[in-house]
Amino acid sequence: MKKSTWILLPLLFVFPLFSIAQDEDDEDWSMYDDLELVDEGDIKRYAKPTIVGLSPTRFLSVSFDMQTPYTMNLSAARFPVSQGTGWGVDEAAPISESGRVNFTGGMRFNSNIPIISKSNLVWQSGLNYMRVGYNITDIEADGNASGLTSILNENGLNNLNWTNTFFVPISEENFFIFQGSLDMSGDFGFSLQPFNTIRWSLAAVYAKRVSERKRWGLGLARTYRVGNLNYVPVVMYDVTSADRKWGTEILFPARAHGRYNFSKDALLLFGYELEGQSYRINDFSAGNNSYEIRRGELRPRIELQRKISGPFWAHFQAGYRMDWTFNADELSGSREFFRGFFGTQDYGMVNNLTNTVYFNIGISFVTL
Amino acid sequence: MRKLLLTLGFCLTAIFVFAQDADGIVGVWEPGHGKARVKIDNIDGKYYGRIVWLKEPNDPETGEAKTDVNNPDKSMANVPLRGYRILKDFEYKGNGEWAEGTIYDPETGNTYSSVITWKDENTLDIRGYVGVKTFGRSDTWRRLKVR
Repeated sequence: MKKSTWILLPLLFVFPLFSIAQDEDDEDWSMYDDLELVDEGDIKRYAKPTIVGLSPTRFLSVSFDMQTPYTMNLSAARFPVSQGTGWGVDEAAPISESGRVNFTGGMRFNSNIPIISKSNLVWQSGLNYMRVGYNITDIEADGNASGLTSILNENGLNNLNWTNTFFVPISEENFFIFQGSLDMSGDFGFSLQPFNTIRWSLAAVYAKRVSERKRWGLGLARTYRVGNLNYVPVVMYDVTSADRKWGTEILFPARAHGRYNFSKDALLLFGYELEGQSYRINDFSAGNNSYEIRRGELRPRIELQRKISGPFWAHFQAGYRMDWTFNADELSGSREFFRGFFGTQDYGMVNNLTNTVYFNIGISFVTL
Repeated sequence: MRKLLLTLGFCLTAIFVFAQDADGIVGVWEPGHGKARVKIDNIDGKYYGRIVWLKEPNDPETGEAKTDVNNPDKSMANVPLRGYRILKDFEYKGNGEWAEGTIYDPETGNTYSSVITWKDENTLDIRGYVGVKTFGRSDTWRRLKVR
C-alpha cells in the first residue's frame, strides 16, 4: 500500500466524527421551531403518575417486622351474635387473660407488578403476604379466659392480599387513582379459611399534578386500616422542594411522611402509618359466623432507604407501635358491619396491648 | 452462475430493505408530554436521539438555558439539555423493533433500559424499564415534519 494511503486512511474514520461534532456545535436550533405533527389526529397529553424526588416505587419487596416485648391484656370472649351477649362499646371489660408477648412479627412479601403501563393508563397488580407470629409467656388466666393467647402462640396471624391500582389521567394535569384490595386474614394455615371471610377495600382519589414537584388529591376510602371497617376521606399531598432535598409523601389518614433526600441513592422518611386488618379466629367462629380480631396499629416511625446496587434498595424502619384496637367482633354469617367511630354494636372482646418499639428491615426491587 | 447472481441479488435486496426498515426511525419525534422534540439519527449502524427543541428552553428561575442539573454525575450539571443525547445505542432487531438501548429522563436524572417499537410510520412506542420489560412504562412518540 502506498504511503499516502496510510496517511489518509485514518482520516476516513476521523472525518465523520469531526463532522458530527461540528454539526452539534453549529446546529441551527431554530430549524426545529417550525415543525408540526405529521399525523395531526386527536392528540391528548396526560399527566405523569409521579413527581420528582419521591421515594422509589417498590415492584418487589421482602421484609421482616419485629416488635419488642409488651403486655397483652384480653377480656373474656363473648358472642353477641350466636349467644346474644357482648361487651358494650363503653363497658369496662375486666381482664381475664394476660401475658408477656416476647415476640410479635414475621416475614412480609409485597409485589406491585405493572400490567399496563402507558401514558394514558397505568394498572399495577400485586400479591402480598404478611405474617404476624407471636411468642407469649407468663400467661395468667382466670376461669373466663378464652385461650386466645395459646391460639396466637400456636397459629399466629396471616394476611393474604391482592391489590390492584389504576392511575387514570384525564388531562395534562388531572388524574384519578383507584385502588381495590381483597384480604384474607386470620389464624389459618395452608388450608386457608372460608372465602366469605374475604374483606374488600376500595379507594378513589381525584388528583392534580400541579408541577413536576407537586401533586395533591382528594378522595374517599373504604378501609380496614384501623382494624374495623371504616369509610374515611383521603387527602394526598406530595411535594418536593426546589433543591429536591425536602418533601412530603402524604396519603392521609393511611400514612403521612416528611422526606429528606440525602442524595439520589439515600433518603429518610419520618412520619406515621396506620396498619390493620380484621383477622378471623377459627376456633371462636361458630357455624357460618366469623369471629374476628380487629387489629389496628398507629406506627410513628422513621425509615432510612438506601440503594444497594442498581435497582435493589434496602430499608430500615424504627418506630413505636401504638395499639389502636385489638378488640374482637362476631360477624353474623361472616357478613361485615359498619360501626365506624360512633356505632353502638357490642364487641366480642375488649383487649388492649401496651405500646412498644418496633423495627422493620427489608430489601426491594425498585424503580425511581 | 445465474443462481449465484440471483442469490446475491436477493441478499443485497434483503440488506437494502432491512436498512430501509431500520432507518424508518430516523427523523424528529415528539414524546407524549409534548415538552421536547428528539431527533433520532443512525450513527455507524446504531441509533441515537438528542433533544433538539424544548418547549421551555430556559430555567424559569435563573433565565439561563436549561442544563442537565439532575444528572447523578455532577460533572454533567452544566451540559445544556438542548443537544443532549437521551437515546443511546439502539440496534435494529427486525420486525420494527430497536433494542439494547437506553433512555435518559432529564427530569429525574435516571437512565433506563429501553426498547423502541414501530407502531406505524408516524408513531413509535418507547418503553423504558428496569431489569426486565415488565417493570417499565411506555410512551407514544409522534413524527414531526416541517410546517
